[in-house]
Amino acid sequence: MTPTLASATRPRGQRDTTPASRTGVMAVLLLAAFYFLMPIWWLIVAATKPAGHQFSGSGLWFDGFGLVDNIALVFDVNNGIFGRWMLNSIFYSGTAALIGTVVSAMAGYAIAKYAFRGRGVVFGVILAAVLIPKVMFTLPLFLMFNQVGLLNTPLAMLLPSIVSPFGVYLASVFAAQSVPDELIEAGRLDGAGEFRIFRSVSMRIMTPALVTIFLFQFVEVWNNYLLPAMVLNDTSLQPVVVGLVGWSASNGNVPAGTVVVAAFLSIIPLVIAFLSLQRFWRAGLTAGAIK
Amino acid sequence: MKKTALRSAGLAGAVAVGLALTACSSGGGATADGPAEIDFWGWAPGYADAVAAYNASQDDVKVNYEEVSPGAKGGYEKMLNAVTAGNAPCLGQVGYETLTSFAAQGALEDVSDIAADDEGDFSAATWAAMSVGDAVYGVPVDQGPMALFYNTEVFDALGIAVPTTWDEYKAAAQQIHAADPSKYISATYLNYDYAGFDWQAQAPWFGVDGDSWNVSIDSPEGGEVASYWQGMVDEGLLSPAPMWDQSWYTGLGDGSIATHVGAVWIAGILKGSAPDGAGKWAVAPMPQWNAGDEITGNVGGSGTAVLKGCDNPEAAWDFAHFMSTDADTYSALVESAGLYPAATDLLTLPVLSEGDDYFGGQNIYEVFAESSEHVADGWVWGPNMPETVGFLDDGLSGAWAGTGTIADALATTQQKTVDALEAQGLSVSE
Amino acid sequence: MTAVTTNGASARVRRWRTPWLFLTPFLLLFVAMYLAPIAFAFIQSLFTLQRDGLGLTAPTLAFDPFANYARVFTDDEFIASLGRVLLFGVVQVPVMLGLALFIALLIDSKSARGRGFFRLGSFLPFAVPGVVAAVMWSFLYSPVTSPINGFLESAFGFTIPFFSDALALWSVANVVTWCWTGYNMLIIYSALQTIPAETLEAAKIDGASSWRTAWSIKIPMVRPALILTTVFSIIGSAQLFNEPTVLKPISGGAITSTYTPLMAAQAQVAAQNYPYAAAESVVLAVLVGVTSFVFFKITGRGDR
Repeated sequence: MTPTLASATRPRGQRDTTPASRTGVMAVLLLAAFYFLMPIWWLIVAATKPAGHQFSGSGLWFDGFGLVDNIALVFDVNNGIFGRWMLNSIFYSGTAALIGTVVSAMAGYAIAKYAFRGRGVVFGVILAAVLIPKVMFTLPLFLMFNQVGLLNTPLAMLLPSIVSPFGVYLASVFAAQSVPDELIEAGRLDGAGEFRIFRSVSMRIMTPALVTIFLFQFVEVWNNYLLPAMVLNDTSLQPVVVGLVGWSASNGNVPAGTVVVAAFLSIIPLVIAFLSLQRFWRAGLTAGAIK
Repeated sequence: MKKTALRSAGLAGAVAVGLALTACSSGGGATADGPAEIDFWGWAPGYADAVAAYNASQDDVKVNYEEVSPGAKGGYEKMLNAVTAGNAPCLGQVGYETLTSFAAQGALEDVSDIAADDEGDFSAATWAAMSVGDAVYGVPVDQGPMALFYNTEVFDALGIAVPTTWDEYKAAAQQIHAADPSKYISATYLNYDYAGFDWQAQAPWFGVDGDSWNVSIDSPEGGEVASYWQGMVDEGLLSPAPMWDQSWYTGLGDGSIATHVGAVWIAGILKGSAPDGAGKWAVAPMPQWNAGDEITGNVGGSGTAVLKGCDNPEAAWDFAHFMSTDADTYSALVESAGLYPAATDLLTLPVLSEGDDYFGGQNIYEVFAESSEHVADGWVWGPNMPETVGFLDDGLSGAWAGTGTIADALATTQQKTVDALEAQGLSVSE
Repeated sequence: MTAVTTNGASARVRRWRTPWLFLTPFLLLFVAMYLAPIAFAFIQSLFTLQRDGLGLTAPTLAFDPFANYARVFTDDEFIASLGRVLLFGVVQVPVMLGLALFIALLIDSKSARGRGFFRLGSFLPFAVPGVVAAVMWSFLYSPVTSPINGFLESAFGFTIPFFSDALALWSVANVVTWCWTGYNMLIIYSALQTIPAETLEAAKIDGASSWRTAWSIKIPMVRPALILTTVFSIIGSAQLFNEPTVLKPISGGAITSTYTPLMAAQAQVAAQNYPYAAAESVVLAVLVGVTSFVFFKITGRGDR
């Protein structure tokens, strides 16, 4: 556990609050929660309505039940291409995040734990890269891939997604905080190679932090629209976000009701990941925040 | 998926990143012994079966079919990239509105010497759609002759006769909206759907004038069409529901949008996306500018184009011609892809002679066969349609919403299109 | 340089090489996926497409290093798109971060109950990909069938014209705000959690009110988090693309094909004018890089 992961919530009493302030705070918070959750609620409600009735009624309350049929309809379009898209998304996000995390961990660890000529420059370049959004590189990537014939291959999606300057930054922060120099030294005295120390000592200590980096990168790749939209033409290669937008812009080829249901299905994996892995999210955000 | 083909044949507002619609490819060729091999890229459902039927019918040519994404969804880009890389297939499916853009990328092979004998098999408009100037680039497959789709319930309830002229159409619009302010005669039209009106009015957006492009989007004839629709907007007679939006389908289903003037493939859209309208819709000839005329326009349709680098264009043409004209093969395409034939002999296919329950038992194809004979001559697509319709839609959607006018939108589109073409060194006359 | 040397010269060489070996995979990919494409785009931007006559042959490229850049800086629509994104950033970023800070402070306050629920509730939209959120909101905004307007109409007798000229940009901003407020809120909230309890105790003993504590102690102490979120949000608005693109078809012309700089560049890709698209993206990348860098320097974070 890194220090950040362990950062416990401060104990705080409730005694010295007035009913008025409690009511006021809760009212505002409930309003905010309504704003954030209402569209998702609408999506859930619409997805459960019988096919073709997604847009009738008030939109905020259930009206008949057709979720099972709706899901069948989604998987009916183009012989179940939607399932393929979900798997593609999982494949791209999982692969890129997994390799990306290892790559970032190695780079971040090197920056945090070794003093070497050029370290400042490398760190500066990485910080600068964090400051220029990835999307800016999408079009140049497209032009380049077009030239070298990588367009429309999974590599065109994976290679750019693996690189994560922010991941390196986080990894270096985590490594600096959590991996004690003494432990590395002890490994060296035992005669272990540098890579061996990294793999069996440092990585192990950094694991919770690496899970966080993995999750952030997973979400980033999952949510990326422009890159796959540009570099992947074949429908069978596309991730779910591109497929969904394609449906939504299909001029009714795929009925809007089906698009709503598919949108609902497409967010389920990430919502589950969010709900079940909360502590890792907070750890990552905290690391970003304290520095 | 019948509708997929309808739509892709019908083309769409290309939201997708990339070029516009169809895909194209060339490549392949004869081997010393054994049949000549031809590669063909397309996406319409049923093309694979058509290829199989052709391969079974003779031994000289073997066609290999590969399904690609619909053109606007990446198929075109894939074909263009393949042409650039020199490994394109011999044949590709290309929408009419995109064919000229393909030609202007140098992506097509002129096969006019092979094609000459077959011109008479196809409607004049579709043949022209596969040509630029004197060059012929492929075989037309289907077409989108226009007619008036109308909701009989709305018209009957108010005792309005089906409009035969645009004046009557406007009068009907006023009556419908006056009787119930939530009802409109139609929604609005963008890009290629709007082009259909200028097509009917014989106001082509482009022309080829010797070695120059003639750009005439902002023509006097087009101006009359624009001022007609501007009048409709100004009087608030058009539904604010954007075409292709969910609200549009809802309106078509519940009678609040009473008509749509569009191509034959709109029938599939209605059936698929406005099921509530079943039994209420019917089809009548397209309204005319002058009573007694019977001129129509076309929206959508695609052909089989011969891509640059094809080394056996004769064999490629043989297959493409077969697919577009063989009665059995095409009947299957009508069933699987909802295509409406470009070949004039096929307009009387048995599958196109049946009543349809959605349209109250009417055989709507009679109207479209009539329409297809009267599609106006002289329509030419420009060398960069994705760009041009992008310009147009930016202005036109504002005009429909009440900011700016249709006339301004056309003038701006004209100017920007000319500027963009000249910037690349193309010769342009206005 | 080397932190510790144990056994002689070979170890020193090994130690010198080790960090670079660890860095190699990242640096290789970084060069290939960040630097190379930008360099490639830059080179491509120095050429122009040339055709003649009817142009029925493949266009050729002519070296004309300033032509595309001259056009970028006189391209009214591209400049307008930059201005639009700037306005968006100036308004949306403070509104969103103000909201995020406010909610974070409320959840952190002693009067809040159900902290976990509110934290998660506001974070949940982050699980919805930007384009999917835009697709969802496009149904909520739909000109005729909007459930929001349906409700407003029946309850209060008015509707919101989401895509009037005055509101369109803010309808887009709302989608972005909806997606990202919770994420920023959590960053700020996490920072609030790291404020030592003693500091807050001391303030209370001094008789400071909750508001006073929030203003004078909590907010200054989460300043780094606020700077971080600001930088990321500025970056976010510069790359505005997904939301307006998805909302464009229902916007009644309020959102055009060149609404944001990235959309303008994409329109050039669609028109097959890659060199000009490349020039636009190079200009945009430089502008964004400079803006973020300047903001970073001004706020002093870069001094560390």
